Amino acid sequence: MHEMTLAQDMIRIIERTLGGKVRLERVNVTIGPLAGISGESLRFCFTEIARLEDFGEPELTINYTKARLLCLDCREEYSSDDLFHCCPRCGSIRKRVLSGREFTVDSVELEEGEEPDG
Amino acid sequence: MAEEKNRKVKIAEKILDKNDLMAAVNRELLSAKGIFSINLISSPGAGKTTILEYMAGYFGPRMAVIEGDIQTRRDAERVERAGCPAVQIETGGACHLDALAVKKALESIDLDAENLDLLAIENVGNLICPSGYDLGENMKIGLLSVPEGDDKVMKYPSLFSTVDVFLINKIDLAPYLDFDVDRAIEECRNMNPDVTVFTLSAKTGEGMDDFCIFLESNFH
Repeated sequence: MHEMTLAQDMIRIIERTLGGKVRLERVNVTIGPLAGISGESLRFCFTEIARLEDFGEPELTINYTKARLLCLDCREEYSSDDLFHCCPRCGSIRKRVLSGREFTVDSVELEEGEEPDG
Repeated sequence: MAEEKNRKVKIAEKILDKNDLMAAVNRELLSAKGIFSINLISSPGAGKTTILEYMAGYFGPRMAVIEGDIQTRRDAERVERAGCPAVQIETGGACHLDALAVKKALESIDLDAENLDLLAIENVGNLICPSGYDLGENMKIGLLSVPEGDDKVMKYPSLFSTVDVFLINKIDLAPYLDFDVDRAIEECRNMNPDVTVFTLSAKTGEGMDDFCIFLESNFH
């Protein structure tokens, strides 16, 4: 639901980094499973905003990461995109979340012939 | 090939960086004034405002409230009638509060008021979007009410795996509904082992004083 706001934040970050409006071919982002963000919804919102704000028609490539979890029973560290999953070593469901809330703009790829203003 | 390479520009920036920076400003401001702050998150109708009305009776002018709603000043008026100052943020459609909105609302609160110990921020009713936004609070509180069902803890892990406190409200309805209190608490602790849990009813007052005393124990 808040993906439109996030897409606008992304555009502002990209604009600031590039020093102005530049036509983009691709935008690479990373989303963690606990970020509370729908990738498909973000893709829809971002594509629309990019087009309306003269950033071309970039494709949004999403790198979905897994959460890092610490088993509270056997102390095994493991990765999963689902907190329902149990520890692969001892089967316990009890865990501490070490990471998984990432949401970053990693990089952008410019359309041919475009250059950053900054 | 070199030209191809140059067309890629590294950014590596957290999208919520700006919000997090503003949240840090809020946290510092409140801390400097000796005010403890909470961010109350739940779905619509779980009882956030009723809990705050009870707390207004308990704390009186020691508490100030920021009310986040999409529309209307109704919640702020309810809390004011119950005995403490309140500022309403009408988001006009946005499904969550952000740190900038809270910073603006703080300008309407007398942070130097004598005895002001607690700032309670009631987020927009929503279990998903508010979970990603740090407002600068000291304590994030997730609230679930018995009629919503005990399965909501695992359905909304981005919230319940991060909260400092888990409240189960409308506990007076437990005898009439299928909500398994033990299961809800166990599932929350399974992914959030340090969470503090209270079962309460803002309507009957059951468990409310214990919760208020717990909050008080965190004041400076």
